[in-house]
Amino acid sequence: MAFNLPTETAKGKVREVELGAGDKARKVGGENVLPFHLWEGEMPNRPIVAAEVSDEVGELVPALEKALGEVKNDPVAWAKKAVEEWGADAIFLLLTSTDPKATDAPAEQAAETVLKVEEAVNVPVIVYGTEDLDKDAEIARVVATKAEGKNLLIGPAKEENFKKVGAPAIGYKQTVAGMTPIDVNLAKQLNILLTNLGMEAEKLVIDPTTGALGYGLEYTYSVMERLKIAGLFQDDSMTQMPMLANIGTQAWKTKEAKSSEEEYPEWGDPEKRGIMWETITAVALLLAGADILVLRHPESIRLVKQLIADLSG
Amino acid sequence: MADENCRVLFLPDNRFVTVARGEILLRAAMDADVHINASCGGSGSCGKCRVLIEEGEVEREPNPKLSEAEAARGYALACQTRVLSDLKVTIPLESRIGDKRIFERAEPTPAHGYLLSAADWEERLPAWELDPPTRKYHLVLPQPSLDDNASDAERIKRGLAVEAGLRDVVIDYPVLQRLPNMIRQSDWDITVTVLDSGEELRAVRIEQGDTTERQSAIAIDVGTTTISAELIDLRTGEVTARASDYNAQVAFGEDVITRIIYAIRGTGLAKLQSVVVGTIWNLIKSLVEQAGIEYCNITHVVIAGNTTMTHLLLGLNPKYIREEPYIPSATFFPWIKCSDIGLRIAAGVYLYALPCVASYVGGDIVAGMLASGIFNTDKLTLYIDIGTNGEMVLGNRDWMLSCSCSAGPAFEGGGVKHGMRATNGAIEQVRIDKIGYEPMIITVGNRKPIGICGSGLIDALSEMFLTGVINEKGKINTDLPTPRVRRREGGAEYVLVWAEDSATRRDIVITEVDIDNLMRAKAAVYAGIEILLSSMDMDVSMIDELLIAGAFGRYLEVDKAVTIGLLPDIGYEKIKFVGNGSLLGAHLSALSREMLNKANEIAHQMTYLELSMNPAFMEHYISALFFPHTDLNAFPSVKEKLEAYRSVQRMAARDKVGEEG
Repeated sequence: MAFNLPTETAKGKVREVELGAGDKARKVGGENVLPFHLWEGEMPNRPIVAAEVSDEVGELVPALEKALGEVKNDPVAWAKKAVEEWGADAIFLLLTSTDPKATDAPAEQAAETVLKVEEAVNVPVIVYGTEDLDKDAEIARVVATKAEGKNLLIGPAKEENFKKVGAPAIGYKQTVAGMTPIDVNLAKQLNILLTNLGMEAEKLVIDPTTGALGYGLEYTYSVMERLKIAGLFQDDSMTQMPMLANIGTQAWKTKEAKSSEEEYPEWGDPEKRGIMWETITAVALLLAGADILVLRHPESIRLVKQLIADLSG
Repeated sequence: MADENCRVLFLPDNRFVTVARGEILLRAAMDADVHINASCGGSGSCGKCRVLIEEGEVEREPNPKLSEAEAARGYALACQTRVLSDLKVTIPLESRIGDKRIFERAEPTPAHGYLLSAADWEERLPAWELDPPTRKYHLVLPQPSLDDNASDAERIKRGLAVEAGLRDVVIDYPVLQRLPNMIRQSDWDITVTVLDSGEELRAVRIEQGDTTERQSAIAIDVGTTTISAELIDLRTGEVTARASDYNAQVAFGEDVITRIIYAIRGTGLAKLQSVVVGTIWNLIKSLVEQAGIEYCNITHVVIAGNTTMTHLLLGLNPKYIREEPYIPSATFFPWIKCSDIGLRIAAGVYLYALPCVASYVGGDIVAGMLASGIFNTDKLTLYIDIGTNGEMVLGNRDWMLSCSCSAGPAFEGGGVKHGMRATNGAIEQVRIDKIGYEPMIITVGNRKPIGICGSGLIDALSEMFLTGVINEKGKINTDLPTPRVRRREGGAEYVLVWAEDSATRRDIVITEVDIDNLMRAKAAVYAGIEILLSSMDMDVSMIDELLIAGAFGRYLEVDKAVTIGLLPDIGYEKIKFVGNGSLLGAHLSALSREMLNKANEIAHQMTYLELSMNPAFMEHYISALFFPHTDLNAFPSVKEKLEAYRSVQRMAARDKVGEEG
């Protein structure tokens, strides 16, 4: 008798969410299986890799400095390079310049950058503020208005400012990423609040907050996995949003990714080390159920894209 | 006459409600789900609740807010008017708000819930007999002689054996001291009171002549906040007097933890013991005076209290109740002499404290389990005592699982800006108009409002949530077109009563901080319920009966408690109130040795689940920090209500746009 692989079929499926508009549009989500359980169902859209681009960079670790080269001070060129040379599926534009604790650039100025980047690339654009509740709300308002119809993914909306981030997104047809501190219930609650505000559930992405390898990765892993299980097997409508894992920032913040060879000679080549730290975090979260992976280093992007292709058979 | 019901028809809503004759018309309107503006809690001072009595008989208080001419035309203030017959009442336009249209609404179902009482015992308890732990025996003993030279004590023992079949009775030492003279003075005609302590028979008192016709017991609920006592005539089993008062220990801290902290310092324990004994003594005095009996009629006392209160009353060190791993000195207590704790009622009066289960599930819960008959039913029952600690028990005749979750004092008005206990002037019922967001309130005693009590807070939260004044997270929507929502330093608030209508001359508000505290309290209770159920691999749909004990007044409305997610949405008919379960259980134990033994069995049988050790508690708690709950599907009736409210609000908004456009 032939061996039949036992299968578990899910009741629910992750919503298909479209990012970007027109010929730049790209769908994420839509799966009715746990990550890459392709013998049990389908993943109509492969997880995508977004390249993190910042509108203002301070000191970079040598590995990133080397990879970015001249584009580090030009977000438009950086984004173009990420798409054209590194193969990024989307651009994650981090508006570092708007941080009220640092440069505090006006939202209007940041919005100009957003428009230029969006113009320059043929992939969806994700726009993130610096997690300042008031400033992010202002950015959301200005960016959503100026980029009407571009269907940007704007974030992060939090429990404290979801109305101010959500309302302009509804009005100007953008998509929103809701961010909550590593908790299944809180993620779900924010989705309920946003949909009650009038957001369509198809315009929402969950950002469950990411911990890098060695820095809380297991929490993020388990919360993402549980959100995915609730969506698929309990058919819980308010957890059926695609998930975004914001990996680059977290992975490159770690001591292991930042430290030089002089500091820790026994740890080996810092460039390879940093890339592996980012890539391994990404692989874990890919298997936890991330639909959008945000990465910094071109080599990590290449490796993770290759892995997604391999796993997708 | 008092039981007579009247039907009241409210126009133009065209809604009927049946109320008891003598009910206040404003309360009838609440029950009928008919909105009348009412700002002063029913004190008759705001004059806003004017209605027109079209037909029927009422009793009206004259009120300066209503001219004689108006009264002659049939106008009345709903809060100052009592229903005396079937009525037809029109609510004039000025007493209605925004609500210009009559919406189709379901028939009102005032969900005050059914209150269990001693009358339900026949159905709920196994047959039990009046067989109290102390009994009086009248003996006429043969006088001693040179031939029959047994000692006085042996003579009594022999008498008890011959007359009553009691063997091996131990005679209390103070009895022995008084024995020789007393027995001779009464010419060998005496009454002996015998206590069956479960382990031995003990003669605790000797009186001259036949006093068997005079025997009473006292049952006491020693609550953290309130102490209630009953005097029971042991020949008939009837309650002959009742009294209650605040526990004077309140002055030393409102909750058990602060009392424990006080008790473990210096002579704190002795102080707290003497204070609570003082309160109990005053209650006993009042009982004895009310019933017109002698102190010496009282032969025993049964108390039920939580573990800390029992420790403090008995003078036991409560220190380790508070420290991990939370160990009480004892959970079972012997019969002790009242005089040992400083309670000097009469000679030889003994006291029994009902056993506790653990540090945070005490004799009050055991008593409640006894009185509600859970040990005698196949129905899966959930018993919840909502107080500062939410104690709860899940089970039936075969098993009982208990836990305690720290809910905080919010439902008793603590940690809430204008919170108060359910005393005169406390807002106990609230309705909020879904279009104009104007409130309708009633206070305890129909006084000008001073603050809000537990049931009023639950009402207010439920109404604020359904009308959209607050969102699922308990945040106030300050964009609403009403001056009643406003921003203040430290968060937004909703004004329930304007200063001009309040007794305090200050606005009475509910703040976001209050809502947070209440949210945490209700989440702790609900998480406890879920933990109990999930540890038995059960869910809320399997609950056959939900019994609520505790201090909530008559006006805790079940549907409101479900709407905010304090209680599971299992159908209002399954939810019943026990009232003071602790006192009822103490009462039963005072009357029947069998019931007292049952209480001991229950305490033995009950399993205690320590929530601080339970990793799933936080998870359940966070998901309950939402109105009604993160899982709205578990609250189908709330979901339905929300949809109904939203559709009415959308219709009203459309009308408004239409009018303006």
